Amino acid sequence: MRRSSRRVFLRNFVLPIEPAEVNRRHTLVVVFLRGGADTLNILVPYGDDRYYGVRPTIAIPPPAPGGSADCSVRLDDFYGLHPMMAPLVPSFEEGRLAIVQAVGSDNPTGSHFETQDQVEHGEAYGHPIGGGWIGRMLRSRGAESAGPLSAVAIGTAIPESLRGARSTCAITTIDEIRIGASASRAGDFAAGLATLYAGEPGVLGDPGRETLALLSKVETLRGQSYEPSAIAAYGQDDFAAGLREVARLVKADVGLEVACLDLGGWDTHFVQGAATGFQADAIAQLATGLAAFDRDLGTRSADVTTLVMTEFGRRIGENSSAGTDHGRGFAAMLLGGRVAGGRIVGDWPGLIEDEALAGPGGLPVRIDYRSVLSDVITGPMGFANAAAVFPGFEPQILGLTT
Amino acid sequence: MSPTRRELLATAALGAAAMPFAGCERLISRVARDLGQSIPDSVAVASGAGIDPAFHLLSRAAFGPWPGDLERVRAMGEPAWIDEQLDPASIDDRACDLRARRFESVHCDPSLGYEFKKPVLREELSRHTLLRAIYSRRQLFEVMVGFWSDHLNIFLEKGDCIFLKASDDREVVRKHALGKFRDLIRASAISPAMLVYLDGKENRRSSPDEVPNENYARELLELHTLGVNGGYTQQDVSEVARCLTGWTLKTKWSKGTVVFDPLRHDDGEKSVLGHTIAAGGGASDLDRVIDIACLHPSTANHISAKLVRRFVCDDPPPDLVSRIAKTFSETGGDIARTVREVLRSDEFRNARGAKVKRPFEFVVSGLRALGADTHAHPALVEYLNRMGQGLFQLPTPDGYSDEASEWVGSLLWRWNFAAVLSTNQIPTVNAPVVELAGALDAIHGESIDAPRFVAHFTGRTATPVETAVVESIAADRSVLVADRVAGVVALVLASPGFQRH
Repeated sequence: MRRSSRRVFLRNFVLPIEPAEVNRRHTLVVVFLRGGADTLNILVPYGDDRYYGVRPTIAIPPPAPGGSADCSVRLDDFYGLHPMMAPLVPSFEEGRLAIVQAVGSDNPTGSHFETQDQVEHGEAYGHPIGGGWIGRMLRSRGAESAGPLSAVAIGTAIPESLRGARSTCAITTIDEIRIGASASRAGDFAAGLATLYAGEPGVLGDPGRETLALLSKVETLRGQSYEPSAIAAYGQDDFAAGLREVARLVKADVGLEVACLDLGGWDTHFVQGAATGFQADAIAQLATGLAAFDRDLGTRSADVTTLVMTEFGRRIGENSSAGTDHGRGFAAMLLGGRVAGGRIVGDWPGLIEDEALAGPGGLPVRIDYRSVLSDVITGPMGFANAAAVFPGFEPQILGLTT
Repeated sequence: MSPTRRELLATAALGAAAMPFAGCERLISRVARDLGQSIPDSVAVASGAGIDPAFHLLSRAAFGPWPGDLERVRAMGEPAWIDEQLDPASIDDRACDLRARRFESVHCDPSLGYEFKKPVLREELSRHTLLRAIYSRRQLFEVMVGFWSDHLNIFLEKGDCIFLKASDDREVVRKHALGKFRDLIRASAISPAMLVYLDGKENRRSSPDEVPNENYARELLELHTLGVNGGYTQQDVSEVARCLTGWTLKTKWSKGTVVFDPLRHDDGEKSVLGHTIAAGGGASDLDRVIDIACLHPSTANHISAKLVRRFVCDDPPPDLVSRIAKTFSETGGDIARTVREVLRSDEFRNARGAKVKRPFEFVVSGLRALGADTHAHPALVEYLNRMGQGLFQLPTPDGYSDEASEWVGSLLWRWNFAAVLSTNQIPTVNAPVVELAGALDAIHGESIDAPRFVAHFTGRTATPVETAVVESIAADRSVLVADRVAGVVALVLASPGFQRH
């Protein structure tokens, strides 16, 4: 009798915690295309004849009158999108998608690992700073703003870009945010913690009570199966599943500041295909995932900025095996309600051979990748400047976000 | 298609978890157990409203008591235990060596470090560090290793640091952890990993128009010796940098080996903190600078304040700091004798439960209190990343914070660790909760004396709230006794009481 009344006492105790505070932050979603994406076949410069000259078998044809599944989708008089990018055309037309041309780093090695490391660390070639650019960004805020879910990698490993962040975790679904006791006792565990932390003074008590509130919020979410917005058509692949979880975390206001996702399959040295084929499949995955995410967020899209980048672009010309080798400049994409979108930013460097090209035939870099990141850091992420993230770097003002 | 970095990492992780070592590790666990890494038949618990003084000493000057340690310290007396710990060479540590010595890369010279892949280096150094902290009987030594690893922090991910940190850990931090402060700082100044981390290897003045790199010089004065308000000027920083020009690393043969290149050294006269260093000193400028910085009165104060913050409380009492600083100066920067003074102070004794454990202290003290068997596989190390104290993962040179506010944002992962550890859900970690319960005499048939677990893990009698909470779990007879014990242990490990020390 005595013990069961304690049970009741504990159960009653949990209740007052419930109205969890809204912990709304702007969320940066970083999609990294691993392998060096051939963005010349994503953002197609159909207005430059030379593009067709150097890519006899893999070029994407110019837009066809009335549209065609084999041809690029017209954006303006010079650029079109790969046909598999079609799901993102509404986001572009509605002004939430911007594409930045000829972005890149100064890394001349052509090595995936070295360049990924450099770009994720946010460094200039040969000038290591230490840690990842996102880690430095988050650390430049005080400790009090870091919650258990401020920086999340979707997947199984923490990317280099998050190195140095205060607390990071890699999860594949929201279901991993729980207390790992066996199901039969999980309730008792949380109830016991609520009692123990209830009477605890500030330094441990406040964060303890906040964490319990977070858990109860996530617990509620777990109970309900997540229903994305009716107009969001997520695919069945891991990338779509990851974005779906990010949307769920955003809508739940759990204090998510950065989510990192990877998408592989871009290292297209061999028979990369054109309107259909190997690269087209990867593009389809990227575009359907992002389009579903954008639609799913709906009005919350003003609270989320998605950045799509890769370590380097590929060479302008195709190789002898109908693929492309490692190049330099690439097109980055920004998606979200605070993106000044519906436009292509940055001049077309042209596909002129010889010294104008970067390394052996890559697109020249006209915009340092850190300028794009700086725009997001000082724009929607709300930091006063990016100097703490990129010491000594003077970003070019691009006006990509508001 | 070349594999992505992520795929490579995943493969490496799989390889590390694969079977070849499993048999070997079981054998090591067996032998280590025979050498004393086990739970005694009977384990006493502390009582009283406040934390037991011997328990307190073990919580701060060690990474918490291993079952049986409390009785031992009580029997020999706290002063005798402190003196024993301050002479680590006198303590037989074979059982710990058995677990921790087998990682090849931690024994390497700088140049050999380059033979290993980064994930291997990261994993082996992390595992070595954790295993030493959990199992070494030279506990105070390991606590001081942690202290100096923060004081002379090196971020594994900057430049080539990852190839060079193992030798820094061995030849700088461990070699001098309880030795002379001056020797520690001198070793650190020309440690290959430090020369990379704070750009010392780039510091040169081959011609008068070259400007020395001041990164290390500044941190030497600001963080390692005098402290930020220690009375040095920008001019002193520049002059120290000039003194240290020329120390660099070989880049081809014996890559990573430190060398003094006279052609890169500024051999003119310098003036550091009021001392003149004559022209033509060459490599000996280093010793002059280290002496001047280490003997400066601000250094005694700065190091004493940091020791007090680590061992006593977040807000160091000025009286105590000046007493400790006096000892530091009078003993010529003798670390062991300075630490002894801190641990024997009334302020130390009165600061029971005043600090919040850092994640590393939380994890290690939990494993120790349980008498756990582990080989610190990446699954265990990963919890430290989640709690925000990944090993050698702090980018900035100031070391992981000693202040509670830095660490309380990640309680969720501490609770998770408590839950999975006590229910034996961390792969390759065995927490013998039932054996421990037996030694604590906490199981009588179907009934469990739950408050004894609170006393075992916190060093004091359970509070009424703690008693109510653990008894409610212990009393649920619909659950097996072993599961109830695990549930009680999980809650105690996750409780505010166990986050403090």
